[in-house]
Amino acid sequence: MQTPKVLGGIDFGLMDPETYRDMSATKVITADTYDDDGYPIDMGLMDPRLGVIDPGLECRTCGSHSGSCNGHFGHIELAAPVIHVGFTKLIRRLLRSTCRECGKLALDEAQRDEFRDRYERAQELGDDEHDVLKAAVRQARKASTCPFCGEPQADIKHEKPTTYYEVQDVLSGDYSERIAAAMQPDEEEDDPGTSPQELAEKTDIALDRVNEIMAGEFRPRKEDRRAIEKALDVDLTEEDMNKLMPSDIRDWFEDIPDEDLEVLGIDSEHSRPEWMILTVLPVPPVTTRPSITLDNGQRSEDDLTHKLVDIIRINQRFMENREAGAPQLIIEDLWELLQYHVTTFVDNEISGTPPARHRSGRPLKTLSQRLKGKEGRFRGSLSGKRVNFSARTVISPDPTLSLNEVGVPDRVAKEMTQTLNVTERNVEEARQYVRNGPEAHPGANYVRRPDGRRLKVTEKNCEELAEKVEADWEVNRHLVDGDIVIFNRQPSLHRMSIMAHEVVVMPYKTFRLNTVVCPPYNADFDGDEMNMHALQNEEARAEARVLMRVQEQILSPRFGGNIIGAIQDHISGTYLLTHSNPEFTETQALDLLRATRVDELPEADGVDDEGREYWTGRTLFSELLPDDLSLDFTSSTGDSVLIEDGQLVEGTIDEDAVGAFGGEVVDTLTKEYGETRSRVFINEIASLAMRAIMHFGFSIGIDDESIPPEAEEQVDDAIQSAYDRVQELISTYEAGELESLPGRGVDETLEMKIMQTLGKARDSAGEIADQHFGDDNPAVVMARSGARGSMLNLTQMAGSVGQQAVRGERINRGYEDRTLSHYRENDLSAEAHGFVENSYRGGLTPEEFFFHAMGGREGLVDTAVRTSKSGYLQRRLINALSELEAQYDGTVRDTSGRIVQFEFGEDGTSPVKVSSGEGDGIDVDDIVDRVVDAEFESSDEKERFLGERAPPTNLSEHSGPGLNKASGVESDD
Amino acid sequence: MVDVSQHELVPDHVLLDPEEVDEVLAEYDVTRTNLPKIKRTDPALPDEAEVGDVVKIVRNSRTTEEAVVYRLVVS
Ligand SMILES: [Mg+2]
Ligand SMILES: [Zn+2]
Ligand SMILES: [Zn+2]
Repeated sequence: MQTPKVLGGIDFGLMDPETYRDMSATKVITADTYDDDGYPIDMGLMDPRLGVIDPGLECRTCGSHSGSCNGHFGHIELAAPVIHVGFTKLIRRLLRSTCRECGKLALDEAQRDEFRDRYERAQELGDDEHDVLKAAVRQARKASTCPFCGEPQADIKHEKPTTYYEVQDVLSGDYSERIAAAMQPDEEEDDPGTSPQELAEKTDIALDRVNEIMAGEFRPRKEDRRAIEKALDVDLTEEDMNKLMPSDIRDWFEDIPDEDLEVLGIDSEHSRPEWMILTVLPVPPVTTRPSITLDNGQRSEDDLTHKLVDIIRINQRFMENREAGAPQLIIEDLWELLQYHVTTFVDNEISGTPPARHRSGRPLKTLSQRLKGKEGRFRGSLSGKRVNFSARTVISPDPTLSLNEVGVPDRVAKEMTQTLNVTERNVEEARQYVRNGPEAHPGANYVRRPDGRRLKVTEKNCEELAEKVEADWEVNRHLVDGDIVIFNRQPSLHRMSIMAHEVVVMPYKTFRLNTVVCPPYNADFDGDEMNMHALQNEEARAEARVLMRVQEQILSPRFGGNIIGAIQDHISGTYLLTHSNPEFTETQALDLLRATRVDELPEADGVDDEGREYWTGRTLFSELLPDDLSLDFTSSTGDSVLIEDGQLVEGTIDEDAVGAFGGEVVDTLTKEYGETRSRVFINEIASLAMRAIMHFGFSIGIDDESIPPEAEEQVDDAIQSAYDRVQELISTYEAGELESLPGRGVDETLEMKIMQTLGKARDSAGEIADQHFGDDNPAVVMARSGARGSMLNLTQMAGSVGQQAVRGERINRGYEDRTLSHYRENDLSAEAHGFVENSYRGGLTPEEFFFHAMGGREGLVDTAVRTSKSGYLQRRLINALSELEAQYDGTVRDTSGRIVQFEFGEDGTSPVKVSSGEGDGIDVDDIVDRVVDAEFESSDEKERFLGERAPPTNLSEHSGPGLNKASGVESDD
Repeated sequence: MVDVSQHELVPDHVLLDPEEVDEVLAEYDVTRTNLPKIKRTDPALPDEAEVGDVVKIVRNSRTTEEAVVYRLVVS
């Protein structure tokens, strides 16, 4: 039994080559993998001491079999040191800031101390330490000579990825010619030239020495060179590039003292800079690069193994050549090749380096490629991974389910299990599950005996096995009604994208959900798929029930209102039910309320002409409200809604009352009567609304958008007069009499005025059309109630589609000086710039259709661009904010304890606990305190009165106290 | 030159004396460096503010009347 251990911390650093050797299970010297019999070769890349992958074989290092052996590192002794590509920037920085001779940081004591202080302060304040390091390097690089040993410092040139040069200005080979040229008289520029005597005087060099220099017999020393350069205004130097071999760099770095590394942000205890130059290459264990056996019996090796083969081959050739005393040029070539292979072994996507390729031409996936990117180890395997106990299928709607429920196909329920711990009390139940076997629905797939052995339940052994089940066994039973599962739709953009549902096992192949949970998931049923996760321990199930169940998510933390509520046809339904307050007979009324807990009608509202009792729509709606609810607000239809003591007195129930995204009634109900009451209400309003819409019948057809001929004439007139006005504007403009608006040019003014005129034309077309639609027109019902669509959509269908725009302007692109070849050049008229006079119902002309497609295309491109941009923005926001946490003292801090907000949201309140209505400015707490103080004398009494009242627990619709689906709803709070 | 600290959109920045700073640090159980920062050169700061001081900023808030924030003056 392993005991859990607490991690104190993790140190990151470089590794000492000596440690590589110590850790290594074997030295790898041969590039071959398997011998002819298929056995791994000793000291080859598949050496059994590096771990085992074939089942049955035993690891030669730890003795365990494949599966329990994690594998062991080996090592390759490199023939010559090579640079590790991961550290090229740091290597460059060290080369530039330290002395080439003594290795010391080229800063004097005072500067060194200052940078060390700045580094510490940056760490303390949470600033970027990198800025300080960079500043220190910049300062040290300025030094032309070492402050300690006086050695002149060369500049370092870095040729990506792994080559470094020392660049020094040295005396050019043709210095005498250059001096002679500079001393020549130049007539054009009125330069009399310089004689050797003059030069000697100017530079303080003896005349014969000057002559020697000029003859090319003496190379001037540095000071003399500088003097001559200054006197003659000439450059006598050329750049000398001296390549630094990795071994040179290693020697250089070995000299850097520990104290200097500290200033450069390197912890010398864990990381010596010379370890960035590899002399030993660790060979990852076989388990990291398993080979696969193809169908034809051939072995196919992992990309990493291929790369290691290359490295070993070159390494061997290098050694052979060096021992044979090959010329330096060949050695250098091999060295570079070795560097290339080690570089691509680490990272095969380095710019400027051709990637190493497989025989097929596919670039190899080496170490970096395994870690990087979306599919890499971090984002693909650690932050997110494929899991067991999950299911995915298409979703479809089921209005008979509660919003807390999810319909799970029986074949899913039979595959995903819950662990049932058998006790004396449930042993019979457990046996029944096992007895049913794996095929029948609520059955079991596996059992686990107390000795830990897992047995598969089969059709054959289930009867027998059922009798053996005793307390302390575990039974993996099928999902049954009432189990809690987690349900999710991607993209998971907010908290409500993942919610807990109770299972209802159903036939067929889709997940079923109540349509009111579509808004939080942003789901529809045009082929959307969703994922389900079965929870595997009591703690998870309890958390899911208490925190994640759909009814706990009715209020959105984004805007504090409800995000779950009536949508689409529900809203049309309640509108039809309450807007004109229709009357229903007893049978009709009972039918409407059939799917609710109401099974007795209230007193009738009256008696019709034939003497039959009737109930109004508002009365029936009121049956769903709590008896003491009072509210008044304005509906989206525009009338004022009044609810008194649970009775809808007047007004239309529509989106603003019961809709998702802040329906007044749902919002108030959730905040004042609790989630459970709200859930019941939403379920029932959805049912009632569906019954209502079916009672009246609701459909839409082409004739619902048609207007009478006289109305069409009016529309035509309106548009014609707009055309005339546009023509007037154009004439005024062409006559140069158009007055420009402030801050705009004449052209812009004309465009604006035309746009305005045409906009008005469409609006008036809409108004005319509007007048001819009845209040019972289904499109009008939907637009007014807020169920779907807008009056603008209706205008475009019946009146005129209106101006098409690209980039917010009339359409101005296409041919030279015109949009299409159908128009004259520089035609400014409405029709030549994308005004669509016709309605969708009437049909567009080809030109109109083309302009409409232009505008439509822009919309599509916009949404496509927006979604990808917002997705990336979202990712960055989440990464930036993920570690912020509201603390118990109300502050918001990051993981290192830095304060971000002194009070969460500046007011310390959760948005879902805040009233959505406008603040009335009444200090309720104060009033309560005063009343209570006056009422009770002893504090005991007061305490008893005020004492905490816990709301009744209701964690399932299938059992437990409170609201029970089977036994009807009681009032809860 | 415009004195931004007099602008109506710039909230009051008040320097705390050492005792007040200790109170704030005790109230939130933090070290000085865990406070949010403000640059010494920020024109909203009072002239006498020095690196290491703590300022109290009282600003109007969208969610509540006034929001109080403490910031450490840094270089
Ligand atoms: Mg869809
Ligand atoms: Zn092993
Ligand atoms: Zn030196």
